[in-house]
Formats: sequence, structure tokens, C-alpha cells
Amino acid sequence: MRPGNIAFWAFFTAVGVWLQSVIPGVDFLAPGLILAMQEEKWTVPVWLGLVWLFIQEGTGSLAFGAGLLWYGTLAGLYFFGHWLFEARNFLFMFILGICLGSMHFLLINVMALLQDWTIPLERVLMESVFQALIFPVEWGLVYLIHHHLPDDAHAA
Amino acid sequence: MEFARWVLAPGKLVHDQVTSFWYRYLYFVGIRQQNDQLRQELDAAKDELSGLRENASEVERLRRLLSMTPPSEWTRQGARIISHRLGPNAALETFLIDKGSTSGVIVNTPVVSPEGVVGRVLRISPSAATILLITDPNSRIPVVSQKNRTQGILKGEGPNRELVLQYVPQGAPIEEGEILVTSGLEEIFPKGLPMARVTSIGRSGSSLFQLIYATPLFAPLQLEEVALIFKGTPVPQPVSALPAAADSAMTPVSPGASLAPGSKSGKHKTPAAIPPSPGQGAPVAPQPVPTPAAPQPAPTPAQPASPPAAKPGKHKAPAAAPAASTATPAPAPSVRSGDAASRGHGSATPADGTDTKKSRKSARPEGQ
Repeated sequence: MRPGNIAFWAFFTAVGVWLQSVIPGVDFLAPGLILAMQEEKWTVPVWLGLVWLFIQEGTGSLAFGAGLLWYGTLAGLYFFGHWLFEARNFLFMFILGICLGSMHFLLINVMALLQDWTIPLERVLMESVFQALIFPVEWGLVYLIHHHLPDDAHAA
Repeated sequence: MEFARWVLAPGKLVHDQVTSFWYRYLYFVGIRQQNDQLRQELDAAKDELSGLRENASEVERLRRLLSMTPPSEWTRQGARIISHRLGPNAALETFLIDKGSTSGVIVNTPVVSPEGVVGRVLRISPSAATILLITDPNSRIPVVSQKNRTQGILKGEGPNRELVLQYVPQGAPIEEGEILVTSGLEEIFPKGLPMARVTSIGRSGSSLFQLIYATPLFAPLQLEEVALIFKGTPVPQPVSALPAAADSAMTPVSPGASLAPGSKSGKHKTPAAIPPSPGQGAPVAPQPVPTPAAPQPAPTPAQPASPPAAKPGKHKAPAAAPAASTATPAPAPSVRSGDAASRGHGSATPADGTDTKKSRKSARPEGQ
């Protein structure tokens, strides 16, 4: 991977963690995973996904496995979806965002049920809506930035 | 003389006026440069003033934090709040603080603010820890009202909501405005720490218990520093013991687990469990206290592997583990042994770490 890309993903990770502390309950790293699957070699999303998986598992309060399910489902949705849609289409990202928002609501509730926890549903619902709305917008922004990296093949 | 005065005075006045007019309205050489310089100085002074005000505010907060006297035999350690809930998997009401197992923090370490109890440690890593707030719906802590000594269980109801005091019989005396303090029955918090103030008392249908709401004494969104309180002196976990600590951190103890007195370590409450000198594993005379409960195989299959019985003699453990183990039912000894090892001995063996982990896991399902 080029130094510019390494710097980009490191910066993206740091900013994502910061944003996650500002808006809790929303995954700001997920759009990066999709972008990495679209734009980078297959090893890059694997490594990034692994690092982000540990970040999310460590910072979250759910039992281990929630992050695995989360990113696993996201990757599965992407692979399933890009057979049906153009992978870089904003509409596809919008649908993916809705799926991710629904997934957040489902996953938190299932994990809370399994762990016998009580979770405020309205808060999880709001987080799901935020996740669904933020995901495509963030993907679009990151996509543009990534394409304007100095040593990117697509850079103007 | 009079003449001179009448002649010179108007001349002086005219001179002053002309000079003033000249310098105020006509002679502007260097004024712009001076203005720019003064503006820069003003900006710098504003920055400095802002920084000093922030420092003063921090000093005031820290002073209040330090003014909180921990109960006797407990020590206090300050920590900064790094973040509140973080990430998509943050389902509970939590804080992230900048102290972890290397600072001696263990799971269930009480966390307080100058106003009262904030919560307790839920998960740990080497240099950070997650705090479960008392406002979380999964937090249940036994309390007693300060004036009437009425006992109950204080349960969180979520963010921006009042707490609920459960299981207070209909006839039990309690008043609005009364402070609820920790009862210490859960063997995590010291007895008598303020937790909440009763705001309303009522009935709920044909329930046998009163419907009591209380408001927490701290403002979660305004907290920046908290204090961790330890029984004795916190013992930083050595690097070799960190994997075990991190492993146990992956299994957050359920908040309600604290309600089972036998499921938690006795080191918080049992005086015998406290080494006389709260040093870092200072060699305490190994009192030959009989350890009847320690070797008993626990009912669960996970606990018989713990070697607490051999530990006191082998490692010269302080009297903490054995003495504490006599006070509680069978599942507890392995917990105490592990905790005493991790706390009292700087060099916890891998077996100790395993022990601690198992005991915490065993305590988990009870409280939820």
C-alpha cells in the first residue's frame, strides 16, 4: 500500500473514533470498509476490518462477537448487493445504510436479550436512524477524498 | 503676578487644546502599527485569560474531588473521563476513563465524584477502563435512606431519567428529599456513600412496595474527573498478569451481580482481608487461619480448577484470602483468592489470573 493510502486510512480511523465519541451508537468506520473493498486490494479491507473489529469490540460494552457479526454482515451485504447494483452507486449505499441501520437495531436487541440486559429502545432506534442516514453521506465524502489523494490513479 | 496669571493662563489653555487636537486628530504617525501591536497583545491576553480561567475551573473541580474523604481503610485515585459511550456497540451507559489495570484498577472498583457515587468499573484494559453508571437500567445497587434507614435497591432507568428505589415495603418510613446512601451489602461500595436524593414517593396499584423515585447526585454530562476508591492501596497489575486481566475484561460482570453477597470478593468488607500495611504486596505475616472453605469444589464445573487452597501456604498470601473465605458461601473463595492475589501480590501467577477470570465469569449471570 502506498504511503499516502496508509496515512489516509490512519487518519480516517482516528477521525472515525473521534466522531464515534461525539455521536455514540453510530459506526463511522463502516463506510471506510466498503470503500476499501471497492478501491483497494483485498488484503487492505481484511486488515482494516480486523483492526476496526478490535476497536469496536474493545470500546463497546456488548459481549465479544457483536462486532464480528456487524462487520461480517456488512461485508456480506456488500458482496450480495454488488451483484445486483452498481457498487459505486449512491443509491446502493443508501440501501446499504438502511440495512445497516436495521442491523444495528436488531443486533443490539438480540445481544441485549442474550446478555439479559435492558436497553432503552428509543435510543437504539435513534441510533439506527442516524446510522442509516450517516452511512451513505460519509461514504460519499470519503469516496471523493480518496479519489483526490495525491498518488491515486483517479486523481485529477 | 495677577497680570501674568491672566495673560498666561489662557495661553496655556490654548496650548493644551492645540496640542491635544494635534495628537488626537492630526498626528497619526505609527498609530496603525501601534494599534496592530495592541490588538495582538489583547488577543494574547484574552487567550491567557481563557487558559487561566480553564485552569482555575479545573483546580476548583480537582479541589472538590480531593476534598472528598474516602472511608477509612480506602484510598482514592483520580481519573479523567476520556469519553462517554463510544462506538456502535456501546449499549450501556458508560464512561471511558484513563486509568486501567496498570494503575491497579480491577473490575467492580467503585467510582465516585464529589457529589456521590458515579458507578463502578465494568471492563478494564491496561490503561483504560469502562465505568458502568448508576443511571444505566442494568445497574442495581442496595442502598439505605440516610435518615430513616430504610433499605431498598436503587435501579437506573436510563439516561436523563430518575432512578427507581425498589422493594421498599408500603409501611417503611422514607421522606422526600432524603439522601440514599450505599448500604455496603453488595460488598463493592463502602457503606455510607451518597448516591441519590428521593424526589417522589407514591403507590403503584396493589403493589406491596412503594413507588419511589430518586435523582442522582451527579450530572453525567458535566463530569470531567472522577475518583476511583480502593480498599487499601491499588496494586498495579504486572505486565505478565495483563492478559488475564484483559481476558476478564472481555466478560463484563453484570451490574446486578453485585447483589449476590457471596458472589463478590470479600476484600472490600472483611477487615481481615486487608493487609495491615497497604503496601504493594508487603510481606504480611502469614497467619495460619484455617481455610475450610477454600478447597471446597465449587458447584459449577468451572471453579474446581482454582487452586486457592494451596495458595496461602505456597505463596505466603496475606490473611486476606483465607479469612475472607470463611465468611461466605462456597463459590466465593475462588473469587477472593484471585482478587487477593491480584491485589495483594504484585506477582500474580498465571493460575491466579485464571482463577480470577473464572470467578468473575461465575458471578456474571446472577445479577441480571
